[in-house]
Amino acid sequence: MKVTIKNLTKKFASRDKNGEPVIAVNNLTAEFESGKLIALLGPSGCGKSTMLNMLSGILPVTSGKIYFDDTDVTDLTPDKREVGLVFQNYALYPHMTVLQNICFPLKIKKVPKDERIARAKKIARMVHIDEYLNRLPKELSGGQQQRVAIARALVKNPKLLLLDEPLSNLDAKLRLEMREEIRRIQRESGVTTVFVTHDQEEATSISDYIVLMKLGVMQQFSATRDIYNNPANLFVADFIGNPTINQLHGEYTSSGFKPDGTDEIIPIKADVAEGTRTILAARAESVTFNKGENGISAKVNDMYSSGKDWLLNIDIGNNNLRGYCDADYELIPDEIIKVQFKDKGVFLFDEKSGERYC
Amino acid sequence: MKKISAGRIITYVLLAIGGFIMVFPFIWMLISSLKTWAECGSMPPTWWPHNPTLENYIYAFKTAPFLKYFRNSVIVTIVCTAATMFNTILCAFTFSRLKFPGRDIIFSLMVSLMMIPYEMLIITNYTTIVKMGLYDTLVALIIPFTSSIFYTYILRNFFLSIPDSLYYSARVDGASDWQYLWEVMVPIAKPSLVTIGLLDALACWNSFMWSILVVGSVDNRTLPFGLFAFTDQAGVRFERLMAGSSIVVIPVIILFLFCRKQIVTGVSKGGMKG
Repeated sequence: MKVTIKNLTKKFASRDKNGEPVIAVNNLTAEFESGKLIALLGPSGCGKSTMLNMLSGILPVTSGKIYFDDTDVTDLTPDKREVGLVFQNYALYPHMTVLQNICFPLKIKKVPKDERIARAKKIARMVHIDEYLNRLPKELSGGQQQRVAIARALVKNPKLLLLDEPLSNLDAKLRLEMREEIRRIQRESGVTTVFVTHDQEEATSISDYIVLMKLGVMQQFSATRDIYNNPANLFVADFIGNPTINQLHGEYTSSGFKPDGTDEIIPIKADVAEGTRTILAARAESVTFNKGENGISAKVNDMYSSGKDWLLNIDIGNNNLRGYCDADYELIPDEIIKVQFKDKGVFLFDEKSGERYC
Repeated sequence: MKKISAGRIITYVLLAIGGFIMVFPFIWMLISSLKTWAECGSMPPTWWPHNPTLENYIYAFKTAPFLKYFRNSVIVTIVCTAATMFNTILCAFTFSRLKFPGRDIIFSLMVSLMMIPYEMLIITNYTTIVKMGLYDTLVALIIPFTSSIFYTYILRNFFLSIPDSLYYSARVDGASDWQYLWEVMVPIAKPSLVTIGLLDALACWNSFMWSILVVGSVDNRTLPFGLFAFTDQAGVRFERLMAGSSIVVIPVIILFLFCRKQIVTGVSKGGMKG
């Protein structure tokens, strides 16, 4: 099912420190394609959970519209929306067994008992919890509880599956496993899925599309690959990617970008007035080193491992940056080497507004 | 074999003595009710009746309609408890889950009513009942006791401790407020509800003063009132009095034996939650 969000706004009665009403979601418009996995991503307080709660109908909207396919669901209560929802704490009914938990939405719908047990068992097999049907939630591990919560959300064949920080209560190893499971289950069921996360790696690893939000305002909505290669502004470039994108402060000149603290120029072309304060942002893999003559001079600080890769830490003028280097790179502290930037993964932003120039 | 320490033995001996002291009056009541008049008054008292007899029970049932009293008590207790539970659950849900203007102020006012002593309400309740034309009916015994602010307060606090996410989850699963209350909240609150129900049932069963006030005729007496009247009818015949008392107390003891586990867990759970 396609989800269309038009000018969605949520204001809360509470006020911020300037006495203004808190705007959790500000005039957000987006369209989620049917059958895709969409991540609502952003730092805490960006309004992503508020968005999810408005999609489920738990929170009424202040203004704007939500459509499921062509039906306006803005004023429908949660029980009328046919969505499945998985909470961060899973919210399993503690007095019911796994099977009863999964059957609950069908019981409410008055599905005959035989049919609802059959359907529940089918879903339980899909999420791999069919061995634990007679246990109580408290007798399950976190990962198992989450599978039950997903099964309960899916059993009524919802048009839309909503997951609120589904992985944040799990330990690191299980998190990796479960996010692939969520991807698999989503593919198998084919249900349009929206999930909330503050972890950019989680979002980029499994989603088809990412909605990146900051203080209630949507920063970018695009395919997951594009958001890394083509960030809309400095916030997006900074938020997405690990290691964090390098940021060089400096000035735009007619021949390129001049970092603070050096007279050398990094050649780059953009439609900006000369003398504008800008930030050159470069992914770690877009920075290359050589001990020859080509490129801008940099002073070597240190190198360290990030698992299988090695990162070299250098200074260009007053700016510090990191780039991937070979594992057998011969480290000489304070050595002056040359640095070049690839075309891909290098962006120029306005220093103040974060607006992207190129 | 497990080794039993001296400390453990002492503990059990002390507990056994304490338990015996607690239970002895009841045992003595039962033993005496089986004795003849002569044996009951004999010195030194006998432990076990030489000729155990049910005569006293037969007398009790003959002189006073204990079966009728018993029936009345059962009706009053069941109706009162059921009504109190139903009202308490709805009221607790209203004041914990639903949002409406003035909710907390109204609830505070209700809670402050607990400070009015029961004896003060008796006169007003009495006048009301008489004016409603309900004097000397079973309804008069039931109507004033179909709700309880105290239980509502306890249950509301328990309901408040149930996380919001369960409510939203149930709503998304398609449940209405009403279904959420009965399918999720009430089962979760079962230990508290059993405790409340039992306490209320005991209070109803033992209610004495109110029934003496609003009921006159033999037909509408409950057991405590009936027993009170029986003391006159039985004169100073202790063995008969003991038989009457046994009839009143035994159902309560049976109820306790069956629900002992729930009472204890319910009370300890409520205690831990503060």
